[in-house]
Amino acid sequence: MSGAAEQAPVLQVRDLQAHFRTHYFGVNREVRAVDGVSFDVNRNEIYGLAGESSSGKTTLIKTIAGLLKPPLEMVGGSARFSFLPDWDAVGRAPPEVVRAIRWRHLSYIMQGSMNVLNPLRRIKHSFRDFAWRHLGGSKAEFDLRAAAHLERVKLDPSVLAAYPHELSGGMRQRVTIALATICKPEFIIADEPTTALDVVVQKDVLGMIRTIQQEMGSSVLFITHDMGVHAALTDRLGIMYAGRLVEDGETPEIFARPLHPYTRHLIGSLPRIGDTEQREGLEGTPPNLATPPPGCRFHPRCPLAMSVCTTTVPAMIETLSGHRVACHAVNPGMAA
Amino acid sequence: MSALLDLDRVSKSFSRGGLFSTRRVAAVKEVSFALEADKPEIFTVIGESGSGKSTLARMILGIHTPSSGQVRLGGRDVTTYDRRAFMAEVQPIFQNPFEAFNPLKQLDRYLFMTAERFGGASGKTAAEEQADVALRQVGLSLAEIRGRFPHELSGGQLQRVAIARALVAKPRLIIADEPVSMVDASLRMSIVNLFGRLRDELGLSIVYITHDLATAYYISDRLIIMQKGVVVEQGPARAVLSAPTHPYSRQLRDAVLTPDSAGAFRAIHSRQAVATPGVSS
Amino acid sequence: MLAILRDLIRYNLEFRIGLFLVSIVVVMAALSVVSPYPAGDVYVVPPDLPPSTAHWLGTTSRGQDVFWQLTAAIRNTLFFGIMVAALSRVIALVVGLLAGYSGGWIDRVLMSINDTFIIIPLFPILILFYFVLRDSMSTPLLATIMACLGWAYDARLIRSVALSLKTREFTQTSIFSGMKTHEILAREHLPYVLPIVFSTTMNNMNWSIGIEVTLAVLGFTDINTPTIGGMIYWANQHTALVAGIWWWIAFPIGLVVMTFVGLFLLAVSMNEYIDPRSRLARMGGGR
Ligand SMILES: Nc1ncnc2c1ncn2[C@@H]1O[C@H](COP(=O)(O)OP(=O)(O)OP(=O)(O)O)[C@@H](O)[C@H]1O
Ligand SMILES: Nc1ncnc2c1ncn2[C@@H]1O[C@H](COP(=O)(O)OP(=O)(O)O)[C@@H](O)[C@H]1O
Ligand code: SF4
Ligand SMILES: [Mg+2]
Ligand SMILES: [Mg+2]
Repeated sequence: MSGAAEQAPVLQVRDLQAHFRTHYFGVNREVRAVDGVSFDVNRNEIYGLAGESSSGKTTLIKTIAGLLKPPLEMVGGSARFSFLPDWDAVGRAPPEVVRAIRWRHLSYIMQGSMNVLNPLRRIKHSFRDFAWRHLGGSKAEFDLRAAAHLERVKLDPSVLAAYPHELSGGMRQRVTIALATICKPEFIIADEPTTALDVVVQKDVLGMIRTIQQEMGSSVLFITHDMGVHAALTDRLGIMYAGRLVEDGETPEIFARPLHPYTRHLIGSLPRIGDTEQREGLEGTPPNLATPPPGCRFHPRCPLAMSVCTTTVPAMIETLSGHRVACHAVNPGMAA
Repeated sequence: MSALLDLDRVSKSFSRGGLFSTRRVAAVKEVSFALEADKPEIFTVIGESGSGKSTLARMILGIHTPSSGQVRLGGRDVTTYDRRAFMAEVQPIFQNPFEAFNPLKQLDRYLFMTAERFGGASGKTAAEEQADVALRQVGLSLAEIRGRFPHELSGGQLQRVAIARALVAKPRLIIADEPVSMVDASLRMSIVNLFGRLRDELGLSIVYITHDLATAYYISDRLIIMQKGVVVEQGPARAVLSAPTHPYSRQLRDAVLTPDSAGAFRAIHSRQAVATPGVSS
Repeated sequence: MLAILRDLIRYNLEFRIGLFLVSIVVVMAALSVVSPYPAGDVYVVPPDLPPSTAHWLGTTSRGQDVFWQLTAAIRNTLFFGIMVAALSRVIALVVGLLAGYSGGWIDRVLMSINDTFIIIPLFPILILFYFVLRDSMSTPLLATIMACLGWAYDARLIRSVALSLKTREFTQTSIFSGMKTHEILAREHLPYVLPIVFSTTMNNMNWSIGIEVTLAVLGFTDINTPTIGGMIYWANQHTALVAGIWWWIAFPIGLVVMTFVGLFLLAVSMNEYIDPRSRLARMGGGR
């Protein structure tokens, strides 16, 4: 960590808003899946994003990666990468610029591995399609390299000859991780890459992501709802709820001193081996983002909710050094 | 004591590869276990991905036929069952709640259909009544679900509807293949707690397939641990998980990440440290 | 259904144009019922008259009124197209869904039959049928033959969708809810293949009308039943263009092009509407 360039964030997200806008035959619907999110990802760190299903994690990183297909639209704010200084978001750069950085500088491990793997092509063909162009070499050399890389995710080279449907979910997921890392990019976005894996493989894969990240000095934006994974892997952590960031800071700090009631619930609800205490899930359901609750979006489920929470959006305040939180109970009188 | 479900050295292999270079892949090898009829329990199957858990579930459900060995329900080979009669006894719950129902169809159809075909409901009102009873058992009600499409419910609600649908058939056994893998921690607890209630209050037996060791410890009675299609360890869940004996089980237990595993991968600065199995947690 | 139609008319330009063109064609076909001259008769009006108030589109060298002849011709041609499309859709659906869902030997047998039909050369077969059947070659018979030849490609398409539907978890839920195979195919999987069926219906009609016109122009069909192709055939026989009777050729061609374009636009716009994903998004879903 030396020099000013080293310390400038690789990714700066500012007040990012991304909505799903559908206009079908006269009915307008707007799902505000990402609504004013700001955070930084520094060089050489793994930034984690946690939050329950449908809290907008995938939408957030799709927007950051510039994968904006209708009905998803980037409505406001910016998401600036240091290697793409001329544009304030990948989605706003021209397609040829985006093509040049994809896989080499920025790679994306998608949620649901079947989306990336063409069901009609053998795995080795998928590898050639994605990475041969960037890595060069003869076909045989490339296949050897792919096989060696697959071994790092504990996959047998025979997998190269298989079709995706012949592999179990976990095997497919490891294939996609191998695909995304074979070019050693500087910024890796990973959406629930280990959710389908068993704990042993998960641990290997997390170790592999960490190793590659350290070898390259690259940065990783890592999404999972599994708090155990965050605790073990990420350097800093952001907690999302209903399209907004509610808390972020250094991961050990968040686990040691969770400030937001939702974060506290996330950490407290996990059962542990050796502990037989009865635990309950969070009551209520995640809000519908087409008609989110006013004020703090967590208030219908929050044990600490006060009247101000139902009307006023809490501001994201740096309550402790490097630890931001958006909650009226923690930061009284701070409206957004 | 008679067995409800009895697996007798069940194996399954698939062929993989092209027309000429076929290779047999053994997905499940000689797995045996039994669930007693008069002792409802949550029986957990743990294993790495690709260890054959889903294949095992599909053989119990009669979707795949074993390459060798027998799966018996109530002493009778499941492949000889009339499918309808079988489904009235055994019902599945799948991994992905968002995929469990046809996105273009209303959810209540599945409940009514199951009630009419397996629950013995004759006519619309009887089916609705049965569906409502089942939905109440999972903490929902027909009023909330009627006419709704899958995308209108959250993952946790959908998974509970899927469980309710299975309950409508009044089965004796539920096969749940990774029912909580796709849902986050707080929903995970409500579903796992629900399984406990079904066992205690309705006397259902549940085969719970998972790779989440913490919930297995929390809820299940007995478990087996599978590796590459083979059962490597079995016994009472808490005893096995507290003091695993097989090296693979130990590796599995040590790999569990909890909020206390702070920084297992954070302070690593050399590749060797990562490659070593069982980094302190 | 009516609401869908209203929405389509209100919000979709392609649909409006397509509907307009097809309506003209359908109205033409409907008018054949009130034709003052029997469609098969010749020399009922003075021959070779250019378009005028008495004969809007002129008359032919065979003494037929082009306008009224066209109404009968387009009716028969449309019927032919619909017949082929409907028959071949049914075959494609049954074969595609069954092969995809059943898998195993059923799939292999059905698909090898299917592939045979895909590679059979179309024209030689049709002409062969014509020479074998000669006078007994009627329009319904030709339609049946065409339907038997025109399903294979779409059946393969439907099968590939059915294959992926089979592996979706909701198919297992349906099975364990007690649905029978035909119920699963008809209720759970059909909605996913309908967009294919609809878009291919229009295209298949265009295909069969095109082939019918070609065959008729060459004289390989029952030329005594008035069709668009038949009209062009007779016009050629009387060297209408050389004789300057352009209206005998131009109006049938104009009408059949209108049919093609109209059906194509309907296919495109309805396809978008029926597609399960956009349908889902309209219902407010889609993840
Ligand atoms: N194509 C779409 N059209 C409309 N709304 C959408 C679409 N995709 C996602 N959404 C909505 O956006 C919100 C955020 O979805 P997103 O997929 O980002 O959640 P997530 O946190 O990644 O959840 P999960 O863990 O289940 O993947 C949800 O309310 C979802 O319903
Ligand atoms: N239909 C199939 N064809 C070929 N191989 C299969 C098929 N289904 C599963 N397998 C293989 O069987 C093994 C076990 O898979 P699976 O039962 O899905 O594992 P799990 O559910 O534990 O992740 C894997 O090696 C997988 O590749
Ligand atoms: S702002 Fe209010 S409702 Fe929101 S988390 Fe804080 S206390 Fe709860
Ligand atoms: Mg997601
Ligand atoms: Mg599985």
